Amino acid sequence: MSAGFASLEGVAITGLGVVTAAGCGRDTLAAALVAGVPLARPVDRSAGWHRPGGSHCAATVDPKSLQPWLSPMAARRMSPPSRFAVVALRRALEDAGLDAATLRAGQAARPTAVFAATACGPSSYTERILEQIQEEGPEAVSPSLFTESVANAPAAQIALACGALGPNVTITQREVGPLLALRRGALEIAEGRAEQVLVAVVEELTPMEHSVFDRFGCLADAPRPFDRHRRGYLAAEGAAVLLLEREDVARARGASIKAWVRAALAAFDPAASLSDYSRDPTPLAAALARGLERAGVEVATVDRIVSGASGMPTGDRLEGLVLRRVWGSATPSGTLPPILAPKGVVGEGGGGHLAAALLAAEGYPFGPTAGFATMDPELMITPHDGGSLPPARRLLVSALAVGGAAAWVVLEKGEG
Amino acid sequence: MNGEENTRLRLKRVIIDSLNLEGMEPEDIADDAPLFGDEGLGLDSVDALELMVALEKEYGVKIEGGEVDPEAFASVIAMAAFVDRLQAGGEAPA
Amino acid sequence: MNVSAVITGLGSVCAWGWGVEALWRGLETGETRIGEARRFNVEGQRTRVVAEVPKPPRAVVDAHSRHHREWCRLSRADRYGVAAAVEAWGDSPWGAGLGLPTAEEGPEIGVFFGGSTAGMAEAERFYARVTGRTAGPPKLNLLTSFQLNGPGDAVARRLGAMGPVETVSSACASGGLAIGAALEALRRGEVSVAVAGGADSLTRLTYSGFNALRAVDAAPCRPFRADREGLSLGEGAGVVVLETPEHARRRGARVLAAVVGTGASCDAHHMTAPHPEGLGAAAAIRRALADAGIAPTAVRFINAHGTGTPLNDASETAALVAVFGDRAGALPVTSTKGSVGHLLGSSGALEAVATVLCLHHGQVHATPGGGTVDPALPVAPVLGAALPLAASSDPGAARGSESGSEPGSETEWIALSTSFAFGGSNAAVVFRGPSHPAGER
Repeated sequence: MSAGFASLEGVAITGLGVVTAAGCGRDTLAAALVAGVPLARPVDRSAGWHRPGGSHCAATVDPKSLQPWLSPMAARRMSPPSRFAVVALRRALEDAGLDAATLRAGQAARPTAVFAATACGPSSYTERILEQIQEEGPEAVSPSLFTESVANAPAAQIALACGALGPNVTITQREVGPLLALRRGALEIAEGRAEQVLVAVVEELTPMEHSVFDRFGCLADAPRPFDRHRRGYLAAEGAAVLLLEREDVARARGASIKAWVRAALAAFDPAASLSDYSRDPTPLAAALARGLERAGVEVATVDRIVSGASGMPTGDRLEGLVLRRVWGSATPSGTLPPILAPKGVVGEGGGGHLAAALLAAEGYPFGPTAGFATMDPELMITPHDGGSLPPARRLLVSALAVGGAAAWVVLEKGEG
Repeated sequence: MNGEENTRLRLKRVIIDSLNLEGMEPEDIADDAPLFGDEGLGLDSVDALELMVALEKEYGVKIEGGEVDPEAFASVIAMAAFVDRLQAGGEAPA
Repeated sequence: MNVSAVITGLGSVCAWGWGVEALWRGLETGETRIGEARRFNVEGQRTRVVAEVPKPPRAVVDAHSRHHREWCRLSRADRYGVAAAVEAWGDSPWGAGLGLPTAEEGPEIGVFFGGSTAGMAEAERFYARVTGRTAGPPKLNLLTSFQLNGPGDAVARRLGAMGPVETVSSACASGGLAIGAALEALRRGEVSVAVAGGADSLTRLTYSGFNALRAVDAAPCRPFRADREGLSLGEGAGVVVLETPEHARRRGARVLAAVVGTGASCDAHHMTAPHPEGLGAAAAIRRALADAGIAPTAVRFINAHGTGTPLNDASETAALVAVFGDRAGALPVTSTKGSVGHLLGSSGALEAVATVLCLHHGQVHATPGGGTVDPALPVAPVLGAALPLAASSDPGAARGSESGSEPGSETEWIALSTSFAFGGSNAAVVFRGPSHPAGER
């Protein structure tokens, strides 16, 4: 018996749609990752509970970037994250060379499953409802605000937009949600329950949320993943949608295979605090090592790491120590492969990290790790400095959550 | 503009604002155009509920019941008559 | 029928009280606990009835606050979830002294939770303060456990789980989907023990929201009745401990029932209204039955989603007719929501507990409330008195011994539990029980 392992075959990623502070579509994200500059934009500090001297920035989406992809009549009842999600879906299908009508028409034979991840769901609509209840009374609550305020609204809108009749599951597991959604989607195909799956990550950031994260002491306008003097992460919003297909289905329609999902692991450290990351990396390092072994992935064959390090002091520490422990035990020199930390650019939340991982698997170049200047002596990790790297064949994507959850996915270079 | 026209204009603004019909002006909604279903403005059941809340707020009335009589919201003209009945204090079964 | 997940523990918190004994005693009465709100603030709301969880008994409070270092930081929903999980864990190898699993055992245990509210009730209090509506400084600790993974993670930390831990929030289908995820994890050999459940607490947001949709009955809900007018909200938690049969056998566990199949689907029809013909719901039910490897004729009774809204009950029965055909009219159906209200995301988890209790006690609990069954609904709700499972007026019901249970075992029945959500996500779970390990008792 093993823990959290799944060794997968024939699970292809064939499309990516992404909406971030950088704009709409894979090219905007790729350009931002090469530039290596945090996608920090000013936040409306008058609309939250902001503290003097606190964070001024977040990686927020410019609504204009959605425009040609979503008509006002269609958008009118969608919460912002639903809009991000539907636009990302349309871009993903376009990227995959598949149109929604074809997908919709094939549902009887092959129902499409949707696995989505969000941490806070549609927060602006939730806040507006609380405001209505408080200022105008419960009877003034808008019905369509309520129906669009639930965490699964974006996933439901994705299904409506393409007629997806398979399971529709929204995972709410904070920083680890995106990799868990990818894991569930990949397992759905690998275990024969679906031929095509949409994996979505969605997040919305309101000024109020931003101010709360700041008050918790988590934020930094200039995040510095793995840096000795890191002080916090860049809060972000947006959406990423990936289309996963069973290999034969992808090949039959001539799809370009962007990457393979080779393994997907999940674990938990019960010693973590409700409000922080674990201090001791031992349990999670053991889980990662055991999971890779069970999946038949030799640690030494991983030639790139897409870390979930965001600049959060304790989070990056745990990421770093877990990786050190695993590589230290598994390889003679303990040398880690090149480590990318895209959250320095895209921030925490909204799918930027997952989309960046796919781009890394596709061989896109990454610029220097945002904000990194001085190595942390406890971690001895120097993340990617922007120099040219040989294409990665096997990548470990990592995400750890406050509260104890952890997930890792192994991607392999595709053929596109 | 007479009273009836005023009422209809006000209703059209309520429809546009409460249903987020961005980019639409009152002149885009004909008085007798069907509001619901595919032939008209294409509003649906959640829009009907939304309109009930909006009318309650706008006119300070209460609409009882769980569902709206489709006749009452069939067009702007029908809605105006409905609102008149409500304001006259009559029973307004939805 | 391959059994890959047996149920070895149950836990619940609901309007009947803390613990499954209180739940079963309440279900046996056939009465409802939906009534005038006492603790929950219904000021300004269109309706006034709810099913509130009563204060925990002293013993429960002492047990948790003394043993659990983070109890005082947990939200109300977290506490419902942890209490139910600890109760369900009681029969596990780690249950009695609440010892934690070892470093080798921990990874064999996963937690799969579902819910809608998590720390929202506490966030509402924070919001009132931060906007100046109530006096006092906004306290950040009201938001510490706000996010939806709160209850599931709290359970995982309390029990010492080190395998996959995942919370699903797909509205009212969440509990059923969580059980599905647990079953899959057990089948693939990822874990030997899967704790599946959900927890929710009453919030102003959900209470107002469902009222804004005119979906709430001013009186306690009456599912399937001709004059039903809407749902009633409730709160609480339900937890089932699932294990692989091998693991249960090795430790001589008492097996209560088995989860033999799950299915899920999406309507992709409308953001709030279910498909009028129940197509998505029927698909989920068919997938669950196929997953279990059994025919519709083998189902003995159904724990329905049964919210009591005109739309749900109609589309749900349309789905039952689509799946069960002529037999639908005689198939016993009950709604636990009539007794303890609609818990929202965690309803599927609490209803799983209720379903297992029905199998265990050999009777389908009655759906509370008077009134005639809607003649337009071709179903047979259990009203008035509980229906004994052994006596069947349903000519199509197959006895357990004909459905492939082991020779020498007691009669077993198949039960179906359904959960349908906003946005059209549907979940169905198939249970078989009661069970005893072959040769025992």
